[in-house]
Amino acid sequence: MTQTPTAFELTFRPNVELISIVRRFVSDFYERMITDADTVSRMALATHELLENAVKYASDGVTFLSITFEPGDVTSTVSIRLVNRANPEHIAAVATIFEEMSRHDDPFAHYQVAMARSAKRKVGSGLGLVRVRAEGEMTMSHSIEDDRVTILAQTTITARRSS
Amino acid sequence: MSTLGDLSVSLRDFAANVQTEGRSIALSLSGNADMAAKDSLDALLPRVHGEAQRLGVTEVQVDFQKLEFMNSSCFKSFVSWISDIGDLDPSKQYKIRLLSNPEMHWQRRSLHALRCFAVDLITVEP
Repeated sequence: MTQTPTAFELTFRPNVELISIVRRFVSDFYERMITDADTVSRMALATHELLENAVKYASDGVTFLSITFEPGDVTSTVSIRLVNRANPEHIAAVATIFEEMSRHDDPFAHYQVAMARSAKRKVGSGLGLVRVRAEGEMTMSHSIEDDRVTILAQTTITARRSS
Repeated sequence: MSTLGDLSVSLRDFAANVQTEGRSIALSLSGNADMAAKDSLDALLPRVHGEAQRLGVTEVQVDFQKLEFMNSSCFKSFVSWISDIGDLDPSKQYKIRLLSNPEMHWQRRSLHALRCFAVDLITVEP
């Protein structure tokens, strides 16, 4: 695992094809720095789901993505941050999901609840952010400033110094 | 084994193939199940469900081994399918066997989540 902090930022108008391209890039990029393939896979999944969320909700189509990797002596931290502008309806939807997350301490149990609800939905899945938290094993937070929504997904991994 | 050509999907980055042999159905997925694949999968799985009922199968095998990724929208298609099986009269329910690829790390958690959603209906291998 690299001991050098790494980061990249991307501001773009994501579309369906670009999202998978970015996911593959994140995988390829961090595979060279993080030896744990499972962690890289979780990062890729989180990046994909957060970008799709942004595609659906960005009111002007523009999304800012940043991913940072901060190595430490004992643990390292990966942060994935998405920023986009959204209309009030979608801001309320995001706030509702985060409020629901705060009421469910167990991400996996919450995921199962969301899956049961999703099964009969005709539009959307409502699973993206919940999946990032449960399958990505990420700590999720968000902030809203005017019409700007920031979603931060973080995970801590055990640092293993290379010899 | 015969291929149900009208149930197969072939997109640029995603493919699904459905085969039947006697009273068993095998669905294999490959590529990248993202937003581009969602509509196809949404259309396909209910038809597999209908075919499974028509043939009276006891199990449908779904091969994920060549599936690079599946987004939450496509994942939801599976959730709905499993829910539909659960809604059937118990005598008409069939099981789903999911074949996974341990090298596709996302599959471990995603398929485990599907299994936990209906432990009586879903098995995951390996």
